[in-house]
Amino acid sequence: MIGYTLRRVLASLPVLGLVSLISFGLLWLVPGDPAAVFLDAGASAEALERVRRELGLDRPLLQRMGHWYARALQGDLGQSLLLNRSVTAALLERLPVTLSLATLSFVLAVLLGGVAGVLAALRHGRAVDHGLMALAVLGLSVPEFWLGMVLIWALAVWLPLFPPGDYVAFAVDPLRWAWHMALPTFTLACVQVGFVARMTRSSLLEVLGQDFVRSARAKGLPESQVVLRHGLANALMPVLTVMGIMVGALLGGAVVTEQVFSIPGLGRLIVGAVLSRDFPLIQGALLLLALIYLLVNLVVDLLYAAIDPRVRLA
Amino acid sequence: MTRRVVALSLAAALAIVAVAPTQAQKRGGDVVIAQTQAPPSLDPHATSAQAARNINLHVFETLYARDENARAVPDLATGATVSSDGLSYVFTLRRGVKFHNGKDMTAADVVASLERYRKAGASASLVGAIDSVSATGAHQVTVRLKSVQSALLLNLSSPRAPIAIMPAEEAAQPMGKAQPIGTGPFRFVEFKPDSHVKLARFDAYQPNPAYRERDGFAGAKVVHVDGVIFRFMPEGGARDAALQAGQIHLNESGDGTTAARLAGDARYQVIKALPFALQVLKFNHAAPPCNDLHFRRAVAQAVDAEAIMGTAFPAIYKMDQSWVYAGSPYHSDRPLLKQNLAAAKASLARSGYKGEKLIFIVDHIRPNVDAATVFQQQMALLGVNVELKVADWPTVSAIGLKSDEGWHFWTHSFGIEPFEGPASVISPWVKGQGQRRDDPTIDAWFDKINAEMNGDAQRRIFADFEARMADEAIALNLGQLGLFQIASARLKNFKAFRIPRMWGVWLE
Repeated sequence: MIGYTLRRVLASLPVLGLVSLISFGLLWLVPGDPAAVFLDAGASAEALERVRRELGLDRPLLQRMGHWYARALQGDLGQSLLLNRSVTAALLERLPVTLSLATLSFVLAVLLGGVAGVLAALRHGRAVDHGLMALAVLGLSVPEFWLGMVLIWALAVWLPLFPPGDYVAFAVDPLRWAWHMALPTFTLACVQVGFVARMTRSSLLEVLGQDFVRSARAKGLPESQVVLRHGLANALMPVLTVMGIMVGALLGGAVVTEQVFSIPGLGRLIVGAVLSRDFPLIQGALLLLALIYLLVNLVVDLLYAAIDPRVRLA
Repeated sequence: MTRRVVALSLAAALAIVAVAPTQAQKRGGDVVIAQTQAPPSLDPHATSAQAARNINLHVFETLYARDENARAVPDLATGATVSSDGLSYVFTLRRGVKFHNGKDMTAADVVASLERYRKAGASASLVGAIDSVSATGAHQVTVRLKSVQSALLLNLSSPRAPIAIMPAEEAAQPMGKAQPIGTGPFRFVEFKPDSHVKLARFDAYQPNPAYRERDGFAGAKVVHVDGVIFRFMPEGGARDAALQAGQIHLNESGDGTTAARLAGDARYQVIKALPFALQVLKFNHAAPPCNDLHFRRAVAQAVDAEAIMGTAFPAIYKMDQSWVYAGSPYHSDRPLLKQNLAAAKASLARSGYKGEKLIFIVDHIRPNVDAATVFQQQMALLGVNVELKVADWPTVSAIGLKSDEGWHFWTHSFGIEPFEGPASVISPWVKGQGQRRDDPTIDAWFDKINAEMNGDAQRRIFADFEARMADEAIALNLGQLGLFQIASARLKNFKAFRIPRMWGVWLE
């Protein structure tokens, strides 16, 4: 297991290198000038050039690229053009915000989606099944930005139970943190609840129809044990695969959710960086996201082996 | 012979001060303002972005500042003495002015600040006429010019990318790296990018004794609140919700629908900041057929400007063809653009346009896209084939400001230039910057208006400029637009201006 993990970590290094290379290429292709963000519409081309020089954007791309790699290898991702601080500091400040939002949404999605999926499978073909699956499809179909705005109007303005936005750090006040995270968490989790519910239902239905489940029932095991120990445990493999994909979807969805709820997380940082062409920040953020995806995939692969002893890690 | 500019300025400023109705002013509380964007920098010399200006002009002050009617009046200076040849200005500084770090402001700080701005300020051309700056006393600074510049005091007081006075040690920092330490009525507390900037009342601040009331960026800046928090909320719906949930006190830029809905609600006040900008339609004179006067005239004659303004800025526009705002001594009652399709088709027939597709670049801000879309439809009636290319501001401005190719039309707003005055309005068209082709006539008028000290002569030059912009269809001034600023009724004595000023206001 340790050898496998080490090999996977080493194998991810070229992937990270490739990601940084592709992101440099994309940034080179994307039009737009970060210097323009500092100036208004009446600015002269001369003023624009002056700001470009101040930001070091007048240097050739290859020179900038070489400089970036030289520093990145020493763990320095450079300075943000707009935030007046290092890229690493900017990313690390926001990472806990986004991770907490994504984790809460993940837990909520797995709990709600899992329970709904099991219930639907056990009541297959009945009203409960149809009702839950209709809700799941609805959850999958509702865009996050729309749901977020509706929740704000319903539960923050019309019935002021939750704040309409903003963020309070957990370390500052855990209760207010939870209160502020409630609506964004539900918004972000909604799509994934539907996803998990549908996947759990179909996987469980398939497993429950297999011979070993019939044998378990024939042995006289209680139904709860049949479903949870023999059914759900075996139905988890495809659900686990879905969960790996979900992490990526949650990080992507966080971009929208953070915008709607004015949460200063990684998603909002990336949107701002892209809109203002803060190249070093975009570069650093892409690298961080690639690293998160690689780690999640590694964890999922390791979990496969933990759940199913038949899987051997080569 | 020397002239005292200050005496007249002060007399005028005091004379126009309106006596505010007596209201019980309460001290305390933090005002929370939602604005759409975060500032690209809090170094006031580094940026001319509105998002930065809103904050920086609470923290920093300038030697001269613009009053309510955009006139330059003394702020950190008590006045200026101008030499008879107009080439030397001696500024006397107010005494006892403290920076937020506790240090007294002296001539050395002013010299360092002006020198820094001359080298790399975001609008360094404002002080391009300065030859040298020197401290001629502990509280006296002498500025020598290369040539006479009538707009020097106007330029020094420009709020665009303010020529803010900062401690000399901060002025020694590279551009963008100076700490936000100024002399203003609020001191900087914290900046959380993507979240907020927090300012606190500067308790050692002494309002300028030459004034009694709030007056533009100058006047007596009396602070009643404990602090101001500028929250960055790009989503309009989120700003509205935050206001109605009581999380913010002022939405700096609301939409018309929400403004109409909340206008009759006693819990809110809807303030129209109108005019706030001009909507300008630029032609790329370097790209055929926009290099052809007949074609540009055809477009000007085919445009229904009011339809464009009414669609893009419903209930918050004003049809006015002057390139400065009403109230300015340079404002004129120019005839409005009138749609005349028959004349437009005749002009188009005389042009070299052969039905080719023309590119309209526009940033993704909704009103700008709406304006471009209506224009596209109006051009279809004329028989001109327009394709819209919508992108974000860094992309569009990089094309429009630097390239002769890839675009024919571009629309955006001009907000600060009409407020600053004639030289600033003419400046974007000098050396063909805005229209991508040199116009020696405009270049000559720019030099002339800068050197002309006589107000009547300046007005004549500016009237000639406005006439040329229309007659030669250099660019189209479509009309004036405004902002809906929606505030909680708890915020008292707020008055719309170029920035949401938080001195003179209080919370109930």
